[in-house]
Amino acid sequence: MRTQTLLLKWSWRDLRANWIKVAAIALVIALGTGTYAGLTSTADWRRLSNDASFGLLSMHDVRVELSEDTVVPRGALEAAAATIPQAAALVGTEERLIFDVLVDAGTTDTEILVPGAIIGTDVTGGGPSVDGLHVATGRPLGDDDAGADTVLLEHNFASYYELPDSGTVTISGNRSLSYVGSAMTPEFFFVAPEGQIFFSEANYAALFTSLETAQHLGGRSGVVNDLVVTLDEGVDAEIVAAEIQAAIETGLGVGSDTEIKADNPSFRALTEDVENDQQIYNLFAFLLFGGAVTGAFNLITRLVEQQRREIGAAMALGVPTRRIAVRPLLVGAQIALLGVVFGIGIGVLIGNAMRGVLTDFLPLPIWITDFRWSIFVGVAIAGFLVPFAASAWPVWRAVRVKPIEAIRAAHLTGGKRKRRRRFRRLPGSTLTVMPFRNLARARRRTALTMIGIAAVITVLVGFLGMVDSFLTTLDRAEIEALGDQPERITVDLDGFYPTDSEEVEAVVGASSVGRSQAGLRAGGIASTADDSFTMLIELIDLDNDLWSPTLVDGAVDGPGPSLVLAREAAKDLGVGVGDTVSLRFPVRTGPDTFAIASERIPVSAIHPYPIRTFAFMDLDHAELFGLEDRVNVIQVVPGAGFDDIDVKRELLSLETVGSVQSVASATEAVRDAMGQIVGILSVIAIAIFVLALLIAFNSASINLDERSREHATMFAFGVRVRTALRMAVTESLVIGLVATALGILGGLAMLWWVTSQLLSTTVPDFGVDIVLNPGTILMAVLLGVIAVALAPVFTIRRMRRMNLPGTLRLVE
Amino acid sequence: MNIELRGVSRRYGTEPVMIHALRDIDLTVTEGEFVVVLGPSGSGKTTLLNVIGALDTPTEGSVVVDGIDISTARRKELFDFRRRSVSFIFQSFNIFPGLTARENVQFGADTAGREDADPLAILESVGLGDRADQFPHELSGGEQQRVAIARALATGNPIMLADEPTGELDFRTGVQILELLREQAGNGRAVLVVTHNREISRIADRVVELSSGAIVSDGPPRGGRADVSDLAW
Repeated sequence: MRTQTLLLKWSWRDLRANWIKVAAIALVIALGTGTYAGLTSTADWRRLSNDASFGLLSMHDVRVELSEDTVVPRGALEAAAATIPQAAALVGTEERLIFDVLVDAGTTDTEILVPGAIIGTDVTGGGPSVDGLHVATGRPLGDDDAGADTVLLEHNFASYYELPDSGTVTISGNRSLSYVGSAMTPEFFFVAPEGQIFFSEANYAALFTSLETAQHLGGRSGVVNDLVVTLDEGVDAEIVAAEIQAAIETGLGVGSDTEIKADNPSFRALTEDVENDQQIYNLFAFLLFGGAVTGAFNLITRLVEQQRREIGAAMALGVPTRRIAVRPLLVGAQIALLGVVFGIGIGVLIGNAMRGVLTDFLPLPIWITDFRWSIFVGVAIAGFLVPFAASAWPVWRAVRVKPIEAIRAAHLTGGKRKRRRRFRRLPGSTLTVMPFRNLARARRRTALTMIGIAAVITVLVGFLGMVDSFLTTLDRAEIEALGDQPERITVDLDGFYPTDSEEVEAVVGASSVGRSQAGLRAGGIASTADDSFTMLIELIDLDNDLWSPTLVDGAVDGPGPSLVLAREAAKDLGVGVGDTVSLRFPVRTGPDTFAIASERIPVSAIHPYPIRTFAFMDLDHAELFGLEDRVNVIQVVPGAGFDDIDVKRELLSLETVGSVQSVASATEAVRDAMGQIVGILSVIAIAIFVLALLIAFNSASINLDERSREHATMFAFGVRVRTALRMAVTESLVIGLVATALGILGGLAMLWWVTSQLLSTTVPDFGVDIVLNPGTILMAVLLGVIAVALAPVFTIRRMRRMNLPGTLRLVE
Repeated sequence: MNIELRGVSRRYGTEPVMIHALRDIDLTVTEGEFVVVLGPSGSGKTTLLNVIGALDTPTEGSVVVDGIDISTARRKELFDFRRRSVSFIFQSFNIFPGLTARENVQFGADTAGREDADPLAILESVGLGDRADQFPHELSGGEQQRVAIARALATGNPIMLADEPTGELDFRTGVQILELLREQAGNGRAVLVVTHNREISRIADRVVELSSGAIVSDGPPRGGRADVSDLAW
């Protein structure tokens, strides 16, 4: 017992003697473990909160949406669904009427004119029972609201514009509606409506109302066009979706699109994003932790080196190896323990900070953010064991040498004779050469320090690179969408109208509208052996002078119908110009009815817009969809003296206009969201900066200890402190340069992994470019080269105060 | 270049735990002298060397080298003094493990600003011409100490201070080292060698014996100066 106490006391003295380095490494371990524990807790919170929120509001398992402009009498969809073989598996069904509108929610201070939708559903008896509404502000809709001009605003939209709890909005046709609050619903927990980029809360206003009100507003009494269904647990939703679709087609003679829960953009973004984030956190933690472990390894190696002769003496005195190893191992254990304790504190801090960010950023009806003991305990165990294991390695090596080797002075121990056969002569003065010689001499520590810093730079470059990549991709989207008409506005009509109809003329001839170009937008599913996904096919005159997609490959000159695909779509489908894809699409068969057809369509060209769902076809081939001489989309630009708001206001008065959206506004909301992410990343970047500095300082400090006699000798020969410092800075500079280069490469690899592997599942429609902006590289260089190079400056005080006689007299 | 110490004392610590490393030392060393500072462990001989070499400053008294009082000099002047006036040889060599033998010698020339120095020639003068590109760990203890002497020679500085230069060497190698040091005094340098080995003092021009920080004798070796080849321990 006395021996153990002595060893413990002795190890504390070792810790105290190296307290600055010990604190630095403990902090590095703490940042690694704390960040991981904090972020992983948030992932757990999100999983639990997602499950609870989606469950609370009974998110649909299957959604069936009738083809555009198709409606059926209320009850027909539920009746069709009741005929399917698996009808017994249907737990809940809800019919809805959904149609696009333009929403004016402007206040006295702000113009808010955005596309949106009226979502009419049964609100009686606390309904709807599927895709329920959680009232976030104001009051819920009730029986009295059936048929009344009252709505609930989608909460993300209301929250984005900080709208009051109640008020009025105006929709297409200049119809004024009272809103009595805002509500969350699973389909809009994450706002990514069809045809829009995600984070669209600023540009999309869903208005929830009673089915009767929706029918009244749409002038479509007693009809529905949408069915949502919940299923028994374990039932295959895809099979049920196909059965319902078939039943509707057979029984009602109309086409439809189906969507299962797992494919819903909101559900997918929230659930898969958690898993992806978790993988990023894992990598993040692994890299930071790697940095911490290399730091711990370096320090323990140095401590063991300091104790080398003591270890040899103990061996000579017959002390058992395991007892000799206890003291340095205790130091390693205490550093790891200290790191874990600090780490828990950092984890709690990060968790608290993230709680606020998450609840603001992703509003859900239920947030579960309790302390995740299991995660912290797991991380604490790993956070202790890994650095401890790293410290065990140099100890194990030290106790394996012969006592005589350990006791002898270092300059007599020989060994390492195979090293440095080359570069025995280097140009330049010795003061210039020495830093490079020193780096080569302590190759293992040099390499470990480089790896540690490179790991940290990797995280920084990876994260900032994600922002760069998103923003660059958005720039690409903007450049392509705006072309040379930055004021271009897309006007969606509420149905297909003849090109010479008065409804079309009302838009084209509006006083605020300048030039215009009518076209069609139709849905379809493109398939190849590689992939299959829904597309929005824009049929426009590809030779028009208002706007047409840039063709980066191929040309549209063939006689038959052909597709211009997005680069991402072509990649995912595994096709190029000249190949064909199978397209399943609705064909208009009557005034309000569509049937589904399939054709193999050649790919004639590729466009650069980053969203794969956007495809184009020449308007000459509208007969393919049964829509010859009809339009449902009109591209316009404001006339002279008018702007987009004028156009929106004027067109809002037209009942046939579903939405009016300036093309430029589509990316603005995403930029806002990216701004928040950049803010979070900036905090992480600061933590990373501190981490890199700690690792570099630790290395510089160890170097100073190890080379104290060399420095003392230099000073004895009249070398100035600043010269010695310059040499140390040169060493760190080389480490920083190599580590930064490695870190940038690692960051690129991380970026590739995130964009190509993770995001392709979370947001498969979005093709993200892999880009590192000069600013990110500059940040990496500032951190990895400048900050790391300057780390030795923090040791200048110790250099200045060095006890020269004492240091020179030290006999190993 | 003369070295003059007047009333030099060096104390460490504070009362009641005060260590008097040097007490009222008066000493003059002139150019070309080979002086051995002799004394048992703790007698203050290394402190004396450190004070002369401006590694340490006296608590009292003055140290004047070539007319300049280094005991009151500023930090920068002390660095300049060490770079231009003295060169050290240590018991445990303290040569730079990251540099080859040639580079270690070059270091001495570089710090003193002697661009005309030929490291290889200096190494040859200490018998290590063929080991110029070896790293310290590839050299024996005696060879390492010879590199240290070559480094000191490369500075061209007029005062050479050697602290127990043979302390870690076997007899034969130690004698070789002493021979080298002895030669340097003959070349116009003042060489001060600190040792506890009385035998070494036999080859000195002058032996300064210390005890408890005070000079107890100062003069030529008893029985006259011996030749290096006469030494035995």
